[in-house]
Amino acid sequence: MSLIRGYAALILGILSFIIILAVWELSVYLDLINPFFVSNPTAILVVLKEQIITGELFDNLSVSLVEFAVGYGAAIIVGLLLGLLIGWYKVMDYALDPFIWTLYAAPSIAFYPIFIVILGLGKPTVIAITFKLAVVLILVNTAAGIKNVDPSLIRVARSFGARRFDLFFKVALPASVPLMMAGLRLGVGRAFMGVVAAELFGSAAGLGASISYYGGLLKTSNMLASLVVVTALGVLMTTIISIIEGHFDSWRTGIGK
Amino acid sequence: METKFDEMNRTLRVSLIRAKGSRPLISFLSVTLFLVMWELLPRLNLVNASYISQPSRVLTVAAEEIFHKGEFFDHLYVSFIEFSMGFILALAVGIPLGMIIGVFRKVRYLLDPPIMALWSTPMLALIPLFILWLGVGVESKLAVVFIMAVIPIIVNAVAGIREVDFPLVRAARSFCAKQRDIFIKILLPGSLPALMTGVRLGLGRAIMGMVAGEMYCSTKGLGHQLMASGQAFRMDLVVFYVSVVCLLGVSATNLMRKLETRLQRWRTTG
Repeated sequence: MSLIRGYAALILGILSFIIILAVWELSVYLDLINPFFVSNPTAILVVLKEQIITGELFDNLSVSLVEFAVGYGAAIIVGLLLGLLIGWYKVMDYALDPFIWTLYAAPSIAFYPIFIVILGLGKPTVIAITFKLAVVLILVNTAAGIKNVDPSLIRVARSFGARRFDLFFKVALPASVPLMMAGLRLGVGRAFMGVVAAELFGSAAGLGASISYYGGLLKTSNMLASLVVVTALGVLMTTIISIIEGHFDSWRTGIGK
Repeated sequence: METKFDEMNRTLRVSLIRAKGSRPLISFLSVTLFLVMWELLPRLNLVNASYISQPSRVLTVAAEEIFHKGEFFDHLYVSFIEFSMGFILALAVGIPLGMIIGVFRKVRYLLDPPIMALWSTPMLALIPLFILWLGVGVESKLAVVFIMAVIPIIVNAVAGIREVDFPLVRAARSFCAKQRDIFIKILLPGSLPALMTGVRLGLGRAIMGMVAGEMYCSTKGLGHQLMASGQAFRMDLVVFYVSVVCLLGVSATNLMRKLETRLQRWRTTG
């Protein structure tokens, strides 16, 4: 009994997926719902198997992942550097704050037509959208991390003769790591959303493009197959980044703990 | 001389950095500089204006769209309907559902995995599916707005209930509080901060869903206009509609923050 209770979360979690799949499959099987609208799990599995054999799945996956990696990588570099500058130099903060705040609150997808006009249809635009979605979050969190360093730490370091250089590298930078990591974690989800959404709107290859393509052809099973892959990838990415973030938790100091 | 100059330079920089009142001034200067550069670069033929447009052109087009053509308000109205209906629905479903999930452990175990899967999925990918189900009209965008907003609301409502100080519930129970009292006097105020965070996150994502849904496939709405202007290569119109959408996003977020601080005050005083 206690064994069951210990694993209750796991058992009920698996159970819920089984129920969803069973209801889905049965309602189509019993003609309660038209498979044209919802397809059914077995048909999706067949499509996935087919796509693995023809290599279609791998092609889409690699295009999306490369776009993700380039966009998110660039967002990390720019977001961290600019975030550090903004957090450290008040002038930078004051000067850039209106722009960042606007970009932060605005729905980034709206910038898609601008990128299309400047960069054209295809990979560069997808990468630009990915970058734009992720960079603001990383930047804002990094800057917040630097700004919110425990003032008593700074005071102690100062009274022991630390210069501005030391304060930055030995106090502010390490203390802001947890918030930086939070920004990176939020950025992953946003960047992945950017890849899929930008591909959805116009791209020749990639998971989002395939969802849009099969959606246009009204091939529900193929569309849902790509959607399942996107979901799995999203869960995988979130899990990985959470594990990485957990490793940096020990860097937390003082109030933030 | 050199040392003197250095010293001057340093005091200048320090005073610039230290001056707390300088924030509005510097922000104002940087925005002005940005607008002036944007206006001047195409005029000096350094950048092609058809790629980045110009503030003066955008203003002209804005005046034309708002005051001379009646269409603008039609599109705004359609977007507003999609957004508000979807968002209200998300509130009506998300908050109670999140609280139920938070209070009952078995429900949480059962529903947590699918919700988490949706939470880490880029939900804009569902747009083609909704269009297949509900058509190109208002209904499919309403569904996109709903699904985008409801997940963060649920997740944060659950977190809110879990954050409630549990000894308070036990204390209330030992003083014979009824279930209803426990809910209204402890669970609700206790989970309010997280709840409001969820609503704020949901609001931002709802606007994103509205715009993206309209951009993908629609016949009316701000997103539709945005995409159509882009396809017609009218950068002035694109910038105008982007600004409108940004303005909506910024004002909605600001409004939410105000509401958050006010509710916070109610929580601590009441």
